[in-house]
Amino acid sequence: MTIAILLIIAAALGLIFILGVTLSRSLQISAGAGLARQIKPIDIEAFRNLVDPAEDEYLRRRLPTPEFRLVRRKRLRAMAAYVQAARRNADILVRVGQAALAASDAPTAEAARRLVDNALLLRRNAVFALLRIYIPLAWPNSGFAATGVLCRYEQLNGSAMLLGRLQNPAVPVRISATL
Amino acid sequence: MLQAHSSLWHYLWVAPNILLFLLAFLMWRRGLHRKYPVFFTFSFVAAIGQLILYAADMMPWVSAEAFWHVLWSGLVVEAFVKFFLIGELFAHIFGPYPSLAKLGKVLIRGIGAVLVFIATVAAALSPVSNSHVIVSGPHLLEQTIYLIESGLLLSIFLFSAYFRLSSERTSLGICFGLAVSAFIHLATWAFAANNSSRQVSVWLDFINMVTYHVCVLIWFYYLLVPREVTTKSAVPLPENNLDVWNRELERLVHP
Repeated sequence: MTIAILLIIAAALGLIFILGVTLSRSLQISAGAGLARQIKPIDIEAFRNLVDPAEDEYLRRRLPTPEFRLVRRKRLRAMAAYVQAARRNADILVRVGQAALAASDAPTAEAARRLVDNALLLRRNAVFALLRIYIPLAWPNSGFAATGVLCRYEQLNGSAMLLGRLQNPAVPVRISATL
Repeated sequence: MLQAHSSLWHYLWVAPNILLFLLAFLMWRRGLHRKYPVFFTFSFVAAIGQLILYAADMMPWVSAEAFWHVLWSGLVVEAFVKFFLIGELFAHIFGPYPSLAKLGKVLIRGIGAVLVFIATVAAALSPVSNSHVIVSGPHLLEQTIYLIESGLLLSIFLFSAYFRLSSERTSLGICFGLAVSAFIHLATWAFAANNSSRQVSVWLDFINMVTYHVCVLIWFYYLLVPREVTTKSAVPLPENNLDVWNRELERLVHP
């Protein structure tokens, strides 16, 4: 009987949820120009600076470990705030794009479809980006967010060594320290 | 009134299926069968299946065993068509957006696998409601099918709600009707699979038949009643730097 009760509760909750979604979709007021005004501009350069692993490395070298952890956490929180703001903007653009999809001529509809697709991609990327931000937030020393850059650094290092050996096989190459 | 073979019982078994037939015919007349081929097939298969079952119940020369065999066959065929229908709805709702389609496919396959596992466990843990397997089996099979179906439909609703997609009205309506039917049937079959009382079983049949009737009317409304056309002023598309943000986030996610 326990299984039956669980299934009945799950079914009731599911039913309430789909009723809510369907009603909210049916009653959704079409997006107007006012909605687009809710988009908040975000400074992409400031975000680039925050995600730059070289900055993290610089801070790691310069600051004592406890202070570095504190600063890194602040930088990660700021990063998360930027991503969430971008996600909110993407939400608005999805609604604006969908309103345009229904109401406009073919070229505008195509532009609207692209806009919605890009905004959805941003929402999807934001989920994964936030995961990549929240994990180092728990372990600020992990260097997790910079993993990819370190990988590229190693690839570059390897390529440089290979190039060095090809150019001058007699001289042992040690480029890592200079890169 | 709430007895098997009462007038209401006959009406609730026959009328929704005739309406579903009519819906399929009207879909064909309006060319909607090309846009929703699986739903069109489902309308025919479900209606024919139920009417054959009704005939088998009414004809005195059809044995009880034959009736249950017809029920089993109908269940299996309908389940296959329903899962194809969920695939069709998924393609309609997420297909136009390539950025979601791939992720959605991966998610829905994963969720499907988890649901099959949960449904198997639920079926294994449910007590046998009747000593004859041919009678208790369909209860468990229905519970299993509706559990998987409800889970898949719920994940479509969750996914589209998270991404704030306002789905196309017809797809939303088909999905809504199917989900209402799946959730209520799941609850009633879960109850039936754990209860052997005959009177309770008749009441549950009535709940299922009323639900099915309501769902057919929901499909009628969403497929055939035209949307109220309101004159919309052109919505200007705002300037945006989504491309730049996507590049930056992808650099962060896939360095």
